[in-house]
Amino acid sequence: MNGDSRSFGRPSGRPGGGAGAKGGGAAGKEGGGKRYFFRRRKVCKFCADKIDYVDYKDIKLISQFVPERGKILPRRMFGTCAEHQRKLTEAVNRARHIALLPYASD
Amino acid sequence: MSDRTYEILFIADPNLGEPEVDALAALVQGFVEKDGGKLQKLEKWGKKRLAYDVRRHREGYYVLLVVEGTGAMVKEVERRIKVTDGIIRYLTVRVDEELRKAERRKAKRALGDEKRRGRTGSPPARDAEVQL
Repeated sequence: MNGDSRSFGRPSGRPGGGAGAKGGGAAGKEGGGKRYFFRRRKVCKFCADKIDYVDYKDIKLISQFVPERGKILPRRMFGTCAEHQRKLTEAVNRARHIALLPYASD
Repeated sequence: MSDRTYEILFIADPNLGEPEVDALAALVQGFVEKDGGKLQKLEKWGKKRLAYDVRRHREGYYVLLVVEGTGAMVKEVERRIKVTDGIIRYLTVRVDEELRKAERRKAKRALGDEKRRGRTGSPPARDAEVQL
């Protein structure tokens, strides 16, 4: 069965193909039809810059993570780590209260 | 209980003149000291545009006070600020714990770097090349 699949050159690049996956996986590196998107791995800016305390007064820093409309974007947009996203959220909410950042702008 | 550090940031009415804002800052400082607090720093940021209207004002005069004191003091100071004319918004944040944490992490990081270098036997302050 193994020999069969190789000589026929069946499209075996897809992972998870059940019974044929054993042979196909080894042979199918070249012939696969799957496209890969290479995306640069995002790294938490706060970690990279070693910012331990996210200051609500530092609008220049915070506004990098908050678009014009004033919404806080999800982590996947900026790649911030969970810890720093939490701190960022806190800082944004404080800044909003004291009118340094908008709550929502049209 | 040992004293804590707080930041009191308030927005003064933009129609007030410079001396009046100074008077307000002094007033708040007085509130703090009356309840056994200590002023560490006073910063005037000047007139800034507000992100949204606060009590029908588009602008505000920001003043920051860094203060040492107890929780009871903060409660009293906030109560007094609330009834003070000319202050349109305020925010009190306790900062000592967070800053201390940040300090500790910084120290730990510096220590960790040193340790790692020591273990791999590479000279200090130069990055070891990664072998694959």
